[in-house]
Amino acid sequence: MISLPEAARSLGELQREFARELQSRPASAPGVPTFSVTHQPAAAARLDVYRNNARQFFRTALELTYPVVRRRVGEEYFRVLAGEYRDVHPSRSGDLHWVGAAFPAWLADRLAGTEYAWLSELARLEWLCEESMAAHREPALAVQCLASVPADRVEGLQLRLQPSLRSMSSRYPVWSVWQANQGDGDAAPVDLSQGPEHCACACLDERVTVYRLEAGQARLLDALAGGAALGRAVDLAEVDASTLAALLGWAFSEQLIVDVSPSVQA
Amino acid sequence: MPGGPETPRFARRPIPARAGIGLRAPHHAAIVRDRPAVGWIEAHTENYFHDGGPGVRALERARELYPLSLHGVGLGLGSADPIDREHLRRVRDAVRRFEPALVSEHACWAHVDGQHFNDLLPLPHTEEAVEHLAARVRAVQDFLGRQLLIENLSAYVGYATSQLREGEFLAAVVARAGCGLLLDVNNAYVNAANLGLDVERFFADLPAAAVQEIHLAGHSRRAVEGHELLIDDHGSAVPDAVWALYAQALRHFGAVPTLIEWDNAVPALEVLVAEAHKADTILRQVHDFAA
Repeated sequence: MISLPEAARSLGELQREFARELQSRPASAPGVPTFSVTHQPAAAARLDVYRNNARQFFRTALELTYPVVRRRVGEEYFRVLAGEYRDVHPSRSGDLHWVGAAFPAWLADRLAGTEYAWLSELARLEWLCEESMAAHREPALAVQCLASVPADRVEGLQLRLQPSLRSMSSRYPVWSVWQANQGDGDAAPVDLSQGPEHCACACLDERVTVYRLEAGQARLLDALAGGAALGRAVDLAEVDASTLAALLGWAFSEQLIVDVSPSVQA
Repeated sequence: MPGGPETPRFARRPIPARAGIGLRAPHHAAIVRDRPAVGWIEAHTENYFHDGGPGVRALERARELYPLSLHGVGLGLGSADPIDREHLRRVRDAVRRFEPALVSEHACWAHVDGQHFNDLLPLPHTEEAVEHLAARVRAVQDFLGRQLLIENLSAYVGYATSQLREGEFLAAVVARAGCGLLLDVNNAYVNAANLGLDVERFFADLPAAAVQEIHLAGHSRRAVEGHELLIDDHGSAVPDAVWALYAQALRHFGAVPTLIEWDNAVPALEVLVAEAHKADTILRQVHDFAA
């Protein structure tokens, strides 16, 4: 443990005063006695540079994580949301990448009961993409690894999936919204009343890929990700063998399966 | 003390006394594909904290081609709050993973009472702050098992309680912590304009042998209450006045590895490389002249 030196006490008081100045709205009266400048502008105005930096760095980090939410609400409203969110969830780390972790849940509360409630679900998908981008990639197994497995052992196989794979189900068509907002042009309109959608995302190359899944596939994927063996996963997801075959075909072709246990010969 | 991996993944390559460029996300693919003729690269440590992902893979590929410096922006070493142990552990993991030749951070504070401002906030130039920052730098160096370079800040306010000149402050930290210095010439220029820093005196106050790296960057000008303030925004080419100060720094400190920093409105890779070549030219001119 690196202890706080005795000498840091008054330094801490000074830093608290600086922090209060950064959080004051508007700036405190001119002539903040702690600070010293040799010429104009005065210290109180100069502190605005730091106030703006703190707001801008935070907002930029949030924009990088939630580009589709920002696009849907526009720059000005996103600025308002970012400011309100920062008041409740200020940065606690020198690494800004994770500053948006609580944004989907905060947005759900903030927009509950409004026509924009779906935005929190869209934010949830973008957060999963952010998590996916940060995960390491493992070598994938080819589907041929299953060829040597006796038929009576298939049900007992457990799959380990790429660490970057995430999945979600939403009451709203967030995959469609996300997909419609990937290009530079105008986004095609999405009927938000068209009902639930299910999707998964993974990052194996230079960007995240977001896949649309059927409801049964999503339940099956969640069961497999939770560690259930194939037979048990089919039962939990209440799907038939064709859904299992389709999901496995997709997962192997997208290099999303990294291990099978008990181990099989590749 | 934790050390590096037993078998290095990358060739041990010191940073040469040439110009390098900051590795930024828009150039991840181009730098590996085009392999521009720059002496080395620098990456912001916090951008490569992840377990994996495109950024980490890009830096691993670039590291195979260039000597690397890791430059931290998030530790807030001078903060009176305890050091963020998780952040420091991630710095150590990045150092182990990428095996940089240089590791640097800033002479700043950044967080108090658990709130982080994610900025490089100035410290008072007091004996108390020297002692505190030096203790923190020693602790970090012990944890990482290697020397740290500390960078001078650009600042917009000074403190009424400051007793030391900025150069004296940094020299005292170097003496007590055994760290090196990263001299940001643009920051010195900005501080001269904004706070009346005497740059010649500043250079003279610094222990020359400790200066192991130089940063060059652009700044912008903002009117505040009818007066001009220089903003250290790393969003443009190095201005002529900073190039001139750079030549002065090289005459004072010798041929030092020099980085072109351009973090906002990042230009095409060729523009960055051209800036690096300009720095190389000045390095050669001053070095040949001195020889």
